[in-house]
Amino acid sequence: MGGSITRATSPVTGRVNWRLWLMRLLALAGIGVSAYLTWTHLAHQAVACGQSQDCDIVQQSVYSEVGGIPVALLGLVAYTALFALTLLRGHVAEHLDNYIPLAIFGISFIGVLYSAYLTYLELLVIYAICRWCVSSALIITAIFLLSLPGLKAEADASG
Amino acid sequence: MATKKRRRSSKAKRGGISTTHILIVAGAAVLVFGLLVVLNINRSQSSVTGVSYETGITSDGEPYKGWPNAPIQVVEYSDFLCGHCGDFADALHALGPDYIETGKVQVVFRNYAFLAPESIQAAQAAECALDQSADKFWLYHDLLFANRGTGLAAYSKPRLNTYAREVGLDTGAFKDCLDSGTQLAEVESDRAEGQSQGVESTPTWFLNEQMIRGALPQSELRQMFEAQLSRGS
Repeated sequence: MGGSITRATSPVTGRVNWRLWLMRLLALAGIGVSAYLTWTHLAHQAVACGQSQDCDIVQQSVYSEVGGIPVALLGLVAYTALFALTLLRGHVAEHLDNYIPLAIFGISFIGVLYSAYLTYLELLVIYAICRWCVSSALIITAIFLLSLPGLKAEADASG
Repeated sequence: MATKKRRRSSKAKRGGISTTHILIVAGAAVLVFGLLVVLNINRSQSSVTGVSYETGITSDGEPYKGWPNAPIQVVEYSDFLCGHCGDFADALHALGPDYIETGKVQVVFRNYAFLAPESIQAAQAAECALDQSADKFWLYHDLLFANRGTGLAAYSKPRLNTYAREVGLDTGAFKDCLDSGTQLAEVESDRAEGQSQGVESTPTWFLNEQMIRGALPQSELRQMFEAQLSRGS
């Protein structure tokens, strides 16, 4: 039963799993944020940032790319993968399904670490805060935290 | 109890997650993160080497590179925070061996610092470098543009002082110059001069007194130089 803890709806009890739904919604929000930032970066468009220029300063900084790939695009790939994983949970063969919480944990952990690094750069190197980037950092941190109980449940079930 | 044991055994057989799996994935995540940071940092580091062309200061106090009697004179108005100005400087730099070092083109630099307060600070820093030598000015100029896009922190006083050390300036004299603000009048005078000539944005440059707005890619710049040279200007 432990293995079904992170499924959207328990096949046994029929109860909706709010954690998985929340992760799915957060991943969707992350897709929106990162897709917008990817588009502004690639199309050289100004980022909507109220009266502030901070978002553009961060977006145009050399730190906004990794090996020539926009960081926002990496985020888009990660959020899309997370969203897909939350959809697949409970709909694939059991031996694969068991590893989905682990994959969500791994991807979101990379995201949390890199978001922390980017926030450090914004605060202490670039001296500009991009609110879109901060919202993405909060989203990925929330997904990471939500992934932990499911991971623990899966590990306990296999224990 | 027996049922529980059987259930555990069947779960173990179906291949669930163990603590080892979690540790391996966490370790892999840290490695991926480290790789991303290394790739990011490598792209952020910039440096300059030496100058391989003639440099000097014009009669009205502006830095130049290239032969003063070159058939082509480029007078550029730039802001160190302006990305296109950096692109233009890169294009000129790339064409240097063919046109500047060969005495065909002389480039004169003028500040048009208007984008942000940091623009004015960077422009003053460049003038402070020029105070020490024209060679150092061009090295400093290249380093400022090489660090464009790294955010406003690239033009903070500590960073401007760091660049001064990197290009081999007398850092004490440089710091005194920058702190005292003695170059502010020169920076403002450059901009006023630009405005009087119709400069409104950066980069704006004059190719033998013909005003051109915006940066050009290296290939187009080369074509313009060749066209000027073929006219025997």
